[in-house]
Amino acid sequence: MAIEVKIPTILRTYTGGEKSVAANGATLIALIDDLDANFTGLKGRLITEDGSLHRFVNIYVNDEDVRFTGSLDTQLSDGDAVTILPAVAGG
Amino acid sequence: MARYDSLIDALGNTPLVGLPRLSPRWDAEHPVRLWAKLEDRNPTGSIKDRAALKMIEQAERDGLLTPGCTILEPTSGNTGISLAMVAKLKGYGLVCVMPENTSVERRQLLEMFGARIISSPAAGGSNQAVAMAKELAKQYPDWVMLYQYGNPANAQAHYEGTGPELLRDLPAITHFVAGLGTTGTLMGTGRYLRENVPAIQIIAAEPRYGEIVYGLRNIDEGFVPELYDDTVLTSRFSVTSYDALRRTRDLIEHEGIFAGISTGAILHAALSIGDRVAKDETATADIAFVVADGGWKYLSTGAYSGSLQQAAELLEGQLWA
Repeated sequence: MAIEVKIPTILRTYTGGEKSVAANGATLIALIDDLDANFTGLKGRLITEDGSLHRFVNIYVNDEDVRFTGSLDTQLSDGDAVTILPAVAGG
Repeated sequence: MARYDSLIDALGNTPLVGLPRLSPRWDAEHPVRLWAKLEDRNPTGSIKDRAALKMIEQAERDGLLTPGCTILEPTSGNTGISLAMVAKLKGYGLVCVMPENTSVERRQLLEMFGARIISSPAAGGSNQAVAMAKELAKQYPDWVMLYQYGNPANAQAHYEGTGPELLRDLPAITHFVAGLGTTGTLMGTGRYLRENVPAIQIIAAEPRYGEIVYGLRNIDEGFVPELYDDTVLTSRFSVTSYDALRRTRDLIEHEGIFAGISTGAILHAALSIGDRVAKDETATADIAFVVADGGWKYLSTGAYSGSLQQAAELLEGQLWA
């Protein structure tokens, strides 16, 4: 099952500069574990030591913020698009 | 009655208009309807007039603002324009810290109202403007920073204004959709509606910008406004420039509403929710969304001409909400 994951500029040091990588997982946490297996250290930038999503990291599945769809347990399907972005100011 | 003693008094009480052509089901036994709250009808043409006036009035009550004071604020534009108008009428100075990648119209308006603009670098977007304003506040302790990202009066303006107006005009409201920037609109309106409408859904639409805007050096430089409380929201969508532009044009094409680009992003989220609800043929919904401002300030960005792809490319790297 291939899911496209968009990587923000700030984390591309982990993906060899790649803007977008493919990963697998039936849930978001499984996907992040799979990412970390290929791009060591990435998980540590997304998830804090207590196992929750980093305060300044937003992850979207098909443009919807995962904090409102089950957080790290959000279910994924083939063809979903995952976007990782740092939290920035608006207004 | 629509007569007021001054421009400031004409704030709020904006119209709520239906979208019979863009709604998933308008005239049906089980309607799924969209309603636009025209916040561009405020004195300076944006929803930010509400927060600006409330923050200034609160600072006056708290004794922070006295005649002749200078106000300092980090802003990507609309809040600055609103503050500039109120400051002009009340006799305050205004210094705005604004990212350099904002539209030329916003700068022209601010200058016309007599505000001083300090530009922050494009890279880093509003984060950088906030950081610079905080530094300036230390250097000039007599300036008063209202700080829209953490000032409870910002959300309060919507708790007392936008929320009650919506419920008065649309008692059957089931969803409220607005843009997420300072989060003031969603926090204030959202809290009011949650207290008064069982099962109301509060949906946020945030702009997804070009990469330069996310140019932090590390994740810990990220920013979440102090006002933000995610328990107020039901869902949150990130909307690309392309989708925002597409919906901005749909709004003109089908409903005759000439709105700014952030409104396109809000409409995109509203339609996503509307389409989801409409899959159930027996479901009904009344979805209210915010038209945050009109399109006038964005004409120079090329948002309204040429192909969508071209327009989206022109917006790359710009702050459009």
